[in-house]
Amino acid sequence: MFRAAARGALVALLASVATLRPGGAGAQERTTVGGYGEVHYVNRTGPSTPGTVDLKRFVVYLAHTFNDQIAFRSELEVEDAKVEGAQPGGEVALEQAYLDYRLSDALTVRSGLVLPPVGIINETHEPPTFNGVDRPGFDHDVIPTTWREIGVGAVGRVPGADGLSYRVYLVNGLRAAGFSAAEGIREGRQEGREASFANPSFTGRVEWARPGLKLGGSFWYGGTADADPALGTGAFAAPITLLSADARYDVGAFLFRAVAASIWVSDAEAINTRYALAPASSQKLNAFVRHERYDTQAAVPAGTARDETLARRITTFGLSYKPTYNTAFKGDYQLLRNEAGTGATDVLSLGIGYQF
Amino acid sequence: MIQAPPPTKVAASIVRLFGPHARVDTLHVDSAAVLRISAGDSLLGFAQVGSVIGKDQPITFLVAIDPANRLKDVDILVYREPYGGEVAYEAWRKQFRGKAAADPLQVGRDIRSISGATISVHAVTAGVRRMLAELTAWHESGAIR
Repeated sequence: MFRAAARGALVALLASVATLRPGGAGAQERTTVGGYGEVHYVNRTGPSTPGTVDLKRFVVYLAHTFNDQIAFRSELEVEDAKVEGAQPGGEVALEQAYLDYRLSDALTVRSGLVLPPVGIINETHEPPTFNGVDRPGFDHDVIPTTWREIGVGAVGRVPGADGLSYRVYLVNGLRAAGFSAAEGIREGRQEGREASFANPSFTGRVEWARPGLKLGGSFWYGGTADADPALGTGAFAAPITLLSADARYDVGAFLFRAVAASIWVSDAEAINTRYALAPASSQKLNAFVRHERYDTQAAVPAGTARDETLARRITTFGLSYKPTYNTAFKGDYQLLRNEAGTGATDVLSLGIGYQF
Repeated sequence: MIQAPPPTKVAASIVRLFGPHARVDTLHVDSAAVLRISAGDSLLGFAQVGSVIGKDQPITFLVAIDPANRLKDVDILVYREPYGGEVAYEAWRKQFRGKAAADPLQVGRDIRSISGATISVHAVTAGVRRMLAELTAWHESGAIR
């Protein structure tokens, strides 16, 4: 009896708040579920290398709309199908989890685990949106996709400038302790797991869009010392600066993608060109070629030997068949080379991907 | 599913498209509400508010036609998704102006997409195509006049 009465009182209170709320017209509270995922077959050339298959990603997207202004959005990911103690591989992680408070078209306050708006693939990483079975190496070793950190920021359209939008966030910093020669800043990410806030960092993006054309510029700036006395205890100790520019241009049957990024002592660029056949139908067959050049040791301190195998040159040829724009069957052939001229490897990959 | 947008947004859209002195009457066809816009004795056009689902949220928009059933403009009234808001840009919306129900109104044919907004572009284009066909059919049959 008591519980029922309490619940009744609570409902009445919520109802009165709802009727008092201005601008609530049309708002319908609802929960939605979506997802994306991909399965890969990979075969590297060389002696005794049978192919491997992997359920690379299975992601559940869960969102709740409280009203037209406030919404929660999240992505929960399982990598490599299963996670077992003491076994390598496998990961369960939140990729995004944030609350949006939309004040106007020009300003939405976003807070929680967010995606730094850097490059093309970090924010739009669903498999049907990019060519190639796996994400480009550039978007792994240079822009550490999927990059997510905890913070608060603002997103919206720039008023009075049709086509211009922005996103800026204040988030926890990277940790230099995780940086490596081969993967750059990748393992410096904290990914929302008891992250240190010793080095508040800024990241943001300005984007300009027209039908068929999108240009963007992104940055990240922040310390990485994590209060390590050897690196410095200031908020901006051992800073890194990331600058990136990207372009997407679709003309006729051709779709061009280019991204360049420069990080601290790193330097990298990737160029991705694809050719779409049969653009007029709802199905699509993309033939593409992508060339990536990046070096996670483009510059090294005096006295340190530069590892030329890290200056990577990756060429990828492939096909993506998309029976709908939300599903993809993919195949590609990659030539992995480096400046040292050693360890040349070819990789054949097949995969499927979906999103909804 | 049609979600009611704030009435002020609809009013502002009508004023922008038909001028400040336009008179608006609501007609009911089947279960739909069509706005009839006139000035004095002359018909200026019709408009309708609808919703399509983008990735997972409704995108509420308004489609207006002139008396010759040509599409005057599309207005995005409420956009709720975290990405894909480019469909509200005038540079994208103006591709619809002057279209008739007989036009293809298909992404990749007469409507260019915007990378990173693919889902919203497809959803809004399909919604506009459907609504333009409905308004045209109702006008031609005399269901709205």
